[in-house]
Amino acid sequence: MNNKILRHNTSDIILHWFNALCWFLLLITGLGLLGNHRINPLGKWFPAMMESLCGGAECLLTVHEIIGLIWIGGFLLYFLLNFQSALGFLREIFTIHPRRDLTWMLKKPLQLTLGNKTMRRLGLNTQLPPQGFYNMGQKAFAQPAVILGVIIAITGIIMFLSDKVLTAEYTTLVVWSIGIHYVAVGLVTAGLIIHIFMAAINIEERPAFYSMFSGYVPVEHVRQHNPLWYEEIAQEEQDQSSTLNTQDAKLGMQAPTTGDRI
Amino acid sequence: MKPQYAMIVDSSKCIDCKACLAACKQVNNLPQDHWRNWIKHSETDPQSTKAHLMHFQPGGCMHCNTPTCVEACPTRATYKDESDGTVKIDYGLCIGCGSCIPACPYGARYRNPVTRKVDKCDFCDFWRNNFGLEPACVSTCPTKARIFGDIHDPKSRAYQVLRENSDRVIRISNPQTETKPNMFYLKNTAPKDWPQPARSPDPIKAMLCCLTPGLQGIFGLSILGVLAMWGKQIFTRSEEKQEDGES
Repeated sequence: MNNKILRHNTSDIILHWFNALCWFLLLITGLGLLGNHRINPLGKWFPAMMESLCGGAECLLTVHEIIGLIWIGGFLLYFLLNFQSALGFLREIFTIHPRRDLTWMLKKPLQLTLGNKTMRRLGLNTQLPPQGFYNMGQKAFAQPAVILGVIIAITGIIMFLSDKVLTAEYTTLVVWSIGIHYVAVGLVTAGLIIHIFMAAINIEERPAFYSMFSGYVPVEHVRQHNPLWYEEIAQEEQDQSSTLNTQDAKLGMQAPTTGDRI
Repeated sequence: MKPQYAMIVDSSKCIDCKACLAACKQVNNLPQDHWRNWIKHSETDPQSTKAHLMHFQPGGCMHCNTPTCVEACPTRATYKDESDGTVKIDYGLCIGCGSCIPACPYGARYRNPVTRKVDKCDFCDFWRNNFGLEPACVSTCPTKARIFGDIHDPKSRAYQVLRENSDRVIRISNPQTETKPNMFYLKNTAPKDWPQPARSPDPIKAMLCCLTPGLQGIFGLSILGVLAMWGKQIFTRSEEKQEDGES
């Protein structure tokens, strides 16, 4: 087995950074649009700053709408081009093995905040249940991010259409969309704070962070962090090489060495 | 002192000719079935044998000092313009969600079916700023029931009329929602009890009362978690290195 495993293919890496850029721009323009300071979690200064940066609130709205539509369009395009891969991702993040994953979810934050030493001092076992391609922490963020993401897109489109096609009878729908959009974005953003920390600052996950650029993770990292996925790859490879070995005898081919998934 | 445009109405002069409604509609190119201003009237008792008079009361957006409509707008697409004291709508920002409409105790707002945005009286902003004209309802009124001007400018007629009548000028408002309107009536006006308590739509109410502090709390917890993990990472880096061998 190679010392690196392919974790993300190019289209996934592009989608991830496309999503990150859109989220960043949508978040700052969106927060800038909440000019009523009583409902802006950052207060008065932020919309004032964004308005002067953009040259008025009207411009903020236009930019927000355009980027929002591009964001939705990008995901639809990805779905069309990589339907199987997208389904695989959804299956992966929505598959939970309660006993294993919940124990992991309870213990990992303790390990990350208290450390193994303190956990042992408190009489806790520091061994974590094995995790697959995504650990429960990643799944716990990915699930609401996907569900709320869809909700954010739908409510966003309703608001976008409000002064373009919707009549006065639909204003209740528009007002509810405003509230739901606001809460959904708020919840994902709270998770995003943790997501960015885990990826960009946490040392343990550094190889996973780099894999979002190169696509590859070191085998050793997978063995430690995603043992179940590691087993799967090892198994697949064994199967492949055993079938290929027989073919090799006839064709003289080399066995592929990467565990290409999702 | 910054200007505060206002209207002083002597409703006893109103003859219900509706010239103000027609002038407003024409000047501001309003859509069918919608009006920026109104003339209300007192109730009469048809059973009564006494001679009675009906009282007519012109009105429109009152450009309040503490506008509940502005409070209900999530984006400040509607706002109190500090430069002239009027309540304005930024049509580039308004998406016509209609949150402000029930938040006005006077029912001064409606959703324009053509522009699909909220609309209301702006004291004929365009004509006033570009041509120095009075609002159309004021200039057209044959009995001069409406007086318009800057009530902070001692030279304006509005200021003088307001001062001269200070003992008999009232504001019409709902006791539950005191918005300090800049539409003043003489005491004998009727009806007086028609303004409704301001009602914001439920999602906006929820955002104002609990969702915003709730989200701030969740962000706080999230940041606290990050700080705890970061702190642990910084302070125990050397320990972890030693432990690496064990685990």
